[in-house]
Amino acid sequence: MKRLVGLVVIILFILAFSLLLVVAGGSIVPGREVRGLARVYLNTSYNPWSPYFTVNSPESVTSVVWDYRGLDTVFETMVFYLAIIGSIALARGYRKYIPAKLDYSKLGLSVIVKTVTRITAPLIIIVAASIALHGHLTPGGGFQGGATGAVAPLLILIIFSQYYLIRRGVRKESMLIVRSLGLTGIGITAIAVFLAGLVAGVHAYVLQNQAKATAPVSAPAYIDNQLISGTLWFFNIFEFFAVLAGFTIVLLLLTIPERAYQGGGGE
Amino acid sequence: MIGPMEIMIGITALAALFSTAATYLAVTEKDLVKAVIYSAIQSTIYAFIYYMLMAPDIVLVYIPVAVGLYPAVILVLIRKTERWEKD
Repeated sequence: MKRLVGLVVIILFILAFSLLLVVAGGSIVPGREVRGLARVYLNTSYNPWSPYFTVNSPESVTSVVWDYRGLDTVFETMVFYLAIIGSIALARGYRKYIPAKLDYSKLGLSVIVKTVTRITAPLIIIVAASIALHGHLTPGGGFQGGATGAVAPLLILIIFSQYYLIRRGVRKESMLIVRSLGLTGIGITAIAVFLAGLVAGVHAYVLQNQAKATAPVSAPAYIDNQLISGTLWFFNIFEFFAVLAGFTIVLLLLTIPERAYQGGGGE
Repeated sequence: MIGPMEIMIGITALAALFSTAATYLAVTEKDLVKAVIYSAIQSTIYAFIYYMLMAPDIVLVYIPVAVGLYPAVILVLIRKTERWEKD
């Protein structure tokens, strides 16, 4: 009852405040016209007629994330990596705990849920891969795809139990290797055009994608007439694997049984 | 004159109001499992609001993280600690 009163008070407050805002200023609704900065991005993100400014990607958001402000995104990836390192450090000191006699058909939830998961988990992975691989064409990208793909191991962990994943090689160590490979790929992609410039003896920048007026080397925008937007496609793939493996590590560590920790509860 | 733009913004505003109610219920709920469900409802509404505000990139990252991963992680944590919040 007390909560209901509180809820009604809050809703009335919001409605009254909205009414006040609408009455007080008629100009609060943002205008429909595109602002100057946005117009620059929309004009240049895919524009073959101005080759020194374009990213060759029809997806403006991915262009901004991995090209115009690529260094920021590299640091974001680093922050995520440090968070994963922190969670691994928190889970230190557990030993491998696999019960001697395991009946895999008895673990987890019912047969109905398992059958549904057998159908949906591959679909989730496919959708995630599509989001990541088309990140330079349609809304999406590496992080979005990786986060979507991490739902599949989560479902399997809860519905089939974690021994099911561990028996199939999805372990903390193997996921750490996948994650490190993804991060290495991101690093190599970041300096690839710079190294190409060094080899060719022309000026080039770190995190450069397409050719600039003072730096005439560029990553290939098309492979076999398929638009890959230079470095964006590679960034998205490597980020996909790094994020997918990172989330899987955290979920695996969270679902470790308590008695796997030395001196913990349980036995 | 009510055009499609006004209807869209009106639905978004209504959804925002519901999300506030869900947030309030999540904060005041003593049963933490129910609180997580309220929080997931709020996240679902937020995903809808992002979609209406034409930010599909945010929707794609918000749905798996805020509706899938985050409630699951919190539920695992509740399972390992305790379900009821004490006064």
